[in-house]
Amino acid sequence: MKRRSFLKRGAAGAALFTIVPRETLGKMGGNNSFVAPSDQLTRGIIGVGGIGRSSLHFTSDSACRLVALCDVDQKHLDSAVAAAKSKFGQTVTTYHDFRELIHDPNVDIVHIATPPHWHGIMAVEAANAGKDIFCEKPMTRTIGEGRRVEEAVKRNARIFRLDTWFRFKDTFYGLGTDVKPLKKLVDSGLLGWPLKVRISGATGFTWKFYWVGKENLEVQPVPKELDYDLWLGPAPFKPYNVHRTHQTFRGYWDYDGGGLADMGQHYIDPVQYILGKDDTFPVKVEVDAPQQHPDAVSIWRQITYTYEDGCQIILEGEGFESKGKVPYIEGPNGKVYKGFECTIPNVQQLINEMPEPEQRNTDFLECVRTRRPFALNESNGHHSATIVNMGVCALRLGRTLHFDPKTQLFVGDEEANHLVNQPMRGEWGKYI
Amino acid sequence: MRKTLYIILSALTFAVTLSAQAQDERQRKPETVVQDVLAQMPAQKAEDFNREMQYLAQGAPQTITLLVGMLQPTEKAQNNLVEYAISGVTNFACANLQYKSAVLDGFRTSVTSAPDETTRQLIQTQIRMLSAVEPNVFTTHEGAAPYAAHYDALKGTYGDCTKLLLKSLKSKDRAYRVQALQYANQEVDEELILRVAKKFKGLSDDAKTDVLYWLGDNHADSQSALILNEVKKGGPTAKAAIEAAGKIGGEQAADALIAALGTENSDAAKAALLAYKGSLNAKVPAALQNATGEKQKALLSIASQRAIHEAAPQLLALAATSADAVKALPGVVTEKDTKAVAALLEKADAAQVPTLQKALAASVQAKPAKEQYQVLASLMKAAQRPERIYKPLAETATNEAIADMVQTYGSATATDAQRAEALGALKATKNFTAAPLLLEVAKKGDEAALASYVALVKANERNIDRRCGKLEEALQVAKTADTKKAIIAALAGAPTQKAFSVVGRYLDDKDVSYAAAQAEKEIAGKCVDEINYDEMKANLAKASDIYKAHGTADDGYAVDEIKKMLSEAQPSPIYQLTPEEKKEGFELLFDGTNLDKWEGNKGGYTVQNGTIYVSAGYGNGGNLYTKKEYRDFIYRFEFCFVRHGVNNGVGIRTPEGVDAAYYGMCESQILDHDDPIYSGLHKYQVHGSVYGVIPAKRIKHKPLGEWNTEEIRVKGDHITVIVNGETIVDGNIREACQGHNVAPDGSDYNPYTVDHRNHPGMFNKTGHIGFLGHGAGIKFRNVRVKELK
Repeated sequence: MKRRSFLKRGAAGAALFTIVPRETLGKMGGNNSFVAPSDQLTRGIIGVGGIGRSSLHFTSDSACRLVALCDVDQKHLDSAVAAAKSKFGQTVTTYHDFRELIHDPNVDIVHIATPPHWHGIMAVEAANAGKDIFCEKPMTRTIGEGRRVEEAVKRNARIFRLDTWFRFKDTFYGLGTDVKPLKKLVDSGLLGWPLKVRISGATGFTWKFYWVGKENLEVQPVPKELDYDLWLGPAPFKPYNVHRTHQTFRGYWDYDGGGLADMGQHYIDPVQYILGKDDTFPVKVEVDAPQQHPDAVSIWRQITYTYEDGCQIILEGEGFESKGKVPYIEGPNGKVYKGFECTIPNVQQLINEMPEPEQRNTDFLECVRTRRPFALNESNGHHSATIVNMGVCALRLGRTLHFDPKTQLFVGDEEANHLVNQPMRGEWGKYI
Repeated sequence: MRKTLYIILSALTFAVTLSAQAQDERQRKPETVVQDVLAQMPAQKAEDFNREMQYLAQGAPQTITLLVGMLQPTEKAQNNLVEYAISGVTNFACANLQYKSAVLDGFRTSVTSAPDETTRQLIQTQIRMLSAVEPNVFTTHEGAAPYAAHYDALKGTYGDCTKLLLKSLKSKDRAYRVQALQYANQEVDEELILRVAKKFKGLSDDAKTDVLYWLGDNHADSQSALILNEVKKGGPTAKAAIEAAGKIGGEQAADALIAALGTENSDAAKAALLAYKGSLNAKVPAALQNATGEKQKALLSIASQRAIHEAAPQLLALAATSADAVKALPGVVTEKDTKAVAALLEKADAAQVPTLQKALAASVQAKPAKEQYQVLASLMKAAQRPERIYKPLAETATNEAIADMVQTYGSATATDAQRAEALGALKATKNFTAAPLLLEVAKKGDEAALASYVALVKANERNIDRRCGKLEEALQVAKTADTKKAIIAALAGAPTQKAFSVVGRYLDDKDVSYAAAQAEKEIAGKCVDEINYDEMKANLAKASDIYKAHGTADDGYAVDEIKKMLSEAQPSPIYQLTPEEKKEGFELLFDGTNLDKWEGNKGGYTVQNGTIYVSAGYGNGGNLYTKKEYRDFIYRFEFCFVRHGVNNGVGIRTPEGVDAAYYGMCESQILDHDDPIYSGLHKYQVHGSVYGVIPAKRIKHKPLGEWNTEEIRVKGDHITVIVNGETIVDGNIREACQGHNVAPDGSDYNPYTVDHRNHPGMFNKTGHIGFLGHGAGIKFRNVRVKELK
């Protein structure tokens, strides 16, 4: 039984030294009924205004203790600190600057829960600092950042996971089934090849078109609890308006990509897994959408991704869904619809007889302990995030783009490649 | 020294300033200090502990170096006392900063002598804690620097990392080893695998584990012997070997994995077998022959999850004595086993009945539904306890099965048990014909029956208005908050104007208000029908308040959405005649505010947002007529289709309550004739047609949701219909049928009319003007008429 480190500091500042009897800590070696303090992993969250503060992640238990919080909005930070106290009696260390949290020796795992324009910088910094990473989706706002995060994680031998999980558990939104039988069906070859997958309101997925930005935002005074400069970080400076931040940042290209980027990895990553394309990328993306504003995200009608072998992923916008009975996966030999309705006779029986999909590591803390990569990691996560980001680039430019999976750059379109590696404001560029 | 530890209270205060007496008055050498301190461990009192730690701190860095040197590899011995001392002196130095740098020095210089990874981490932690005592000091990327250098070195091998990989496998640091192995994945080939395999014997158990996982990830079936050997050996590498065996596959792997079932790695073996890419259809039954205990349990579970039908006979035989075998039956049985399962079901304990029912249903499921019914029905006839077969019977979802169950439930001769089972079966079926009985039972207070009813309606009632009506009825029957919430959520899936009103009533009900708010917002967003502006404003404002009170991040977005919806909604306009129409003597029949000049079906025709809105009120029927009767006139109005396939019409010179197309002068058709459901229309049925008498010129309708103008002019026998400025009918009804509005021979077949029917009212001199039809999806506005004298 390995212990990663012996005793951790219990609270900020004072180095309380606590020894409790073996019986209370749990036995060393053999069957551990309790997690000894030395085996406890610790976590710090950057960004506690939204998902970081949700009940799903704002947790602290004997397996992983919450020890640090960081936010550039003092009100959010104060509220989260109070919640930590009342919910789990935990006093946490608070930070204004994310770099301090990342370098806090008391923090093993960094949870990045900021808007996407920060994900890349924080992930690379955390990796370089020797921390394991739990990152919100989309993994990065740009394709180039995703590449560099993947590299940094591998270079520093870190464990990285994304906060989406439908490729290995849960009912897949409105599709009425989880992903496993779909994976088995596709692996069996019964549907033929290539396959077309339709992610649409008609197949159970809504693209949250309410995430649109406003044009002509009026300038507003920055609230005194918010460090707007640090909130913006690498994003271009634009005068403050409340709609840019907090609940509605998704409507602005500078920080995110509307409903496509919000839900894209949730919906598309499992498709990438089902199609067995974790190690490649689509080679073409086409968009049918109105002209996009340079700052404010707008809606779109359809986005189509095509792979080299002819497989396609088709996204249909809200209000632009195909009518009638729309297959979720369609192949030359069969179709499968919502609720796992399938044109292949007796398909459920056939699937029952097939082996399970290959085993994957789906316990993040176990991966942190054993150093084995998590099922959805810096590599396959970067690949599915790139599908999303390819779509963002095509939308912003309003044209079809061709992508080279080997170089991870667009072909014959320099303007598009300027969206792959975008400049960062001030000093932030040197972090990634 | 006692091996067990004492409790030392956490009430140790390090800010204690110790007196000069505590200094090492005996001038001991560092070695002695350390020995003495350890001899005192664990201290009984705080001040004793503090004193000992101070001795250590004073003797730093030498005492520190000595302590670290005393650490043993973690697998060999427990370093408890030394660890306590190390931790203790660190914490002491953190609180008494004058000792910090010496203690830190001691750790820094001795960290390399740590015997293994765990102890090295321990020392690293002390270093980090001591370094970070001043806050806001960014340590450089110290923690991960060695890995970065390692990675760069791997990259620097330019495509042949074998040598460095083999070297890295010797490292005591797991992260190094795994980093090298992961890196090697991009250039792995058979040669690399062979070379790693050659070194396998000489590796530590931990490194062997890493390599085994890696061999599995790379499907290195050439190393099957090596892997299976580790499986057979058991021990610390077995778990990784088992996962690898499952991934490489092959007969021998399957055998080894089956052999590992029931051992300490049984769960891992089971998982590997479930994912094993090959047939287990012979192996699992063979293994089951002699298996007992945990191994048997695992095999049964595998048989079930992998649908190994060949194992069915064995499971059936075991079912009498093994609950696990019963549990696994549904996964393996086929129609060969139906009789045997029925026999088990007959005699089983109550606790096993549900599983056996599942198994019975599973055994017949490959047959068409009707055959399933026949097999089960005949089993029922022969059964001692036929009620045990009711559930599987109802699962066939055939009408016959449901009819049987309904009959049984209502039968005077059925026992109470049978009635209860029949009802239970009906509650679980997917067949819609069970709905009426379920509703009846629900009305008597059975909430579960209501839930089943609602599920059936949701899944089967495709007509949105009927679905809405049925759900509304169910809502009135519902007793518990949970059922109400479920029905309210279902109403959100039937977004009609009616649904909006119904759900709106529940916004004030504290138990369900949040569910109602969510549904109301969804209905408002999706409803194509007209929702009264004032009602929409009021209800959505309430919903918004409910969201605000609920207060999660998602609720904030909902409030924004509602704000947007309200900002886009328009209050009702009031129509006025144009100056020309005023001059010409037109009269407004509908100005957007009231139906005072109308009579008839005011339930199905209501005023909404300035329009005459036709709702398919559940159970509504009948037409809307002008109160006045007219002779010759010009009739102008606007219409708008909001749904596909709408069917309505304008009745002209008609008595009330009769079919105007025949008993009035005529009906001018209003029809969304472009909709695919009307692909087989007659010419005299298209929009505008004098129905059955004069076909209209067929126009292409504007898209849904757009307003159209229409004018109908009647003078004597002449009728003109103009839509959006285009004349589509301009004819004489008398000429159109050559004067014969009814068959001259008194029969029902009239050769002179285009539809060959009698039109007795065709030559009416006067009559009401009416809107004919009660299907939802159309609205009218700005209705006015000018009498022609």
